[in-house]
Amino acid sequence: MELTVEQIAEGVRRANHAMVDLEQALNAADAKLGDGDTGSMLVRVIGGMAAAAPKTATSVSEAFGKLARAGMSATGSSLGTLFAGAMLLLAKQTKDRSVDWADLSALVGAARDGMMARGGAKLGDKTVLDMMDALAAALEGKTDAAQAGKAGVDAAERTLEAYRDRPCKMGRAKFFSEKSVGLDDPGMLAFAGLVRALATAK
Amino acid sequence: MKKLMNDPAHYVDEALDGLTLAHPSLMRDGSAGRVIRRAEATRKGKVGIVSGGGSGHLPLFCGYVGQGLLDTCSIGNVFEGPNVDSCMEAIRLADGGQGILRLYGNYGGDRMNFDIAGEMLEDEGIRCTTVLGTDDIASGGPDEIERRRGVAGLIYAYKCAGAAAEAGAHLEEVTRLAAKAVAMTRTIGVGLAACRLPSAARPSFELGENEIEMGIGIHGEPGIWRDTLRPSDAVADEMVERLLADLPPSGAEVSVLVNGLGATPLEELFILFRRVHKKLAEAGLRVVMPLIGNYVTSMEMQGASVSLFHLDEELKRLLLAPAECPFWRVG
Repeated sequence: MELTVEQIAEGVRRANHAMVDLEQALNAADAKLGDGDTGSMLVRVIGGMAAAAPKTATSVSEAFGKLARAGMSATGSSLGTLFAGAMLLLAKQTKDRSVDWADLSALVGAARDGMMARGGAKLGDKTVLDMMDALAAALEGKTDAAQAGKAGVDAAERTLEAYRDRPCKMGRAKFFSEKSVGLDDPGMLAFAGLVRALATAK
Repeated sequence: MKKLMNDPAHYVDEALDGLTLAHPSLMRDGSAGRVIRRAEATRKGKVGIVSGGGSGHLPLFCGYVGQGLLDTCSIGNVFEGPNVDSCMEAIRLADGGQGILRLYGNYGGDRMNFDIAGEMLEDEGIRCTTVLGTDDIASGGPDEIERRRGVAGLIYAYKCAGAAAEAGAHLEEVTRLAAKAVAMTRTIGVGLAACRLPSAARPSFELGENEIEMGIGIHGEPGIWRDTLRPSDAVADEMVERLLADLPPSGAEVSVLVNGLGATPLEELFILFRRVHKKLAEAGLRVVMPLIGNYVTSMEMQGASVSLFHLDEELKRLLLAPAECPFWRVG
């Protein structure tokens, strides 16, 4: 099945809607070892993406480009910039071609690799990259939105669970590595919440 | 920790409003007002020097926009990188047709934003180079200098790159001199009490009533040790010993920056400098242009940093060249 501009716009709408409930939980998770602003930052980023009207794009690439530029105006935080940078990479990867749901695994993998090169984190550092890695694997062979949604939510929850008791090795939390054991990484928690929102019609 | 402010959401923009009202040589620019540039138009034919970083460190970063220093500076929220838009705008506004040196501290977020900004501008044909401040010796060993963070010593690189650009040096030369200034600068900090982000309920870290932290970073990043408070002379001795061990002197002259982190009285900085000066003299080093004051702060953090800038003839000439910004005047 083809991945459409309408589906991307609907995904942004769902994510923006979900942030209403996620904001305070993410701020609280971030306040444990950080500044306590991850939720509010993502509200600005995703709100900006929704306001950029991805629905009006004439191609999937243009839609991702709109999301990237909106993210880049909304924040300078590392997580937000990585998110916007991933959108920019997706825009480049999908330029001048149609995109199928079956391509999504490879696209998420490319975004993961781009974010890794950009931000310097490695797999296993307990960051959003570990979520993307799990998502890329879970999406393999999935050919429509329903299959991808179910596999994505399973993978996100499994990965969050698997990393909870491991130490964080990236970002500010790396200075308090042992204290991060038992805590969800705020970026991973946000990723899980957003994947759940994307997969659920509301 | 009390703060005299209005809405935390307006903290940065209201500070920039006041800064530019007080200093007409600086102007806000960019779509969100998050670029500070020189009030006069960009000089054609001059290499542009662009910096940027999070707020909460004034005079760093944007306070060093001025003659013989920076051309433009992108500004992020408190302790947060400047967004891609402001970095792109800062680069465009500094473009005098001879290329741009991006000169800022080695932090992941700042790097990402400046790198993406550079990629987005590739089509516009603006040539950019990058030099990162890596002077904080507590944030990585001598064998992993590329991991070190940039702190107060960055202003020496501003000064040298700015002087070279003002004198008409081309981009490769300005870049070489900025990198050389970074390579010859070492800094170490000591923290006495934490700071609090305007939007946060609690300080970003805690230090006991009678505790100090050697090697603390300018966002409260953990340092080398925490122990009980000791006399200033003992702290000065350890700081100078660590700095000289990390970069043994190759010449006979150094500049010294004894920098307050925000809430330390000038008296305490001079007490510290007096001993630093003695230790350097004992090591056979002559102090050129000592700088004592609040040059790079961490809001209301209590403490100080000591930077040594090892000079040769070339760097000394650039350091002593005329420069003028609201917080630093030379010549």
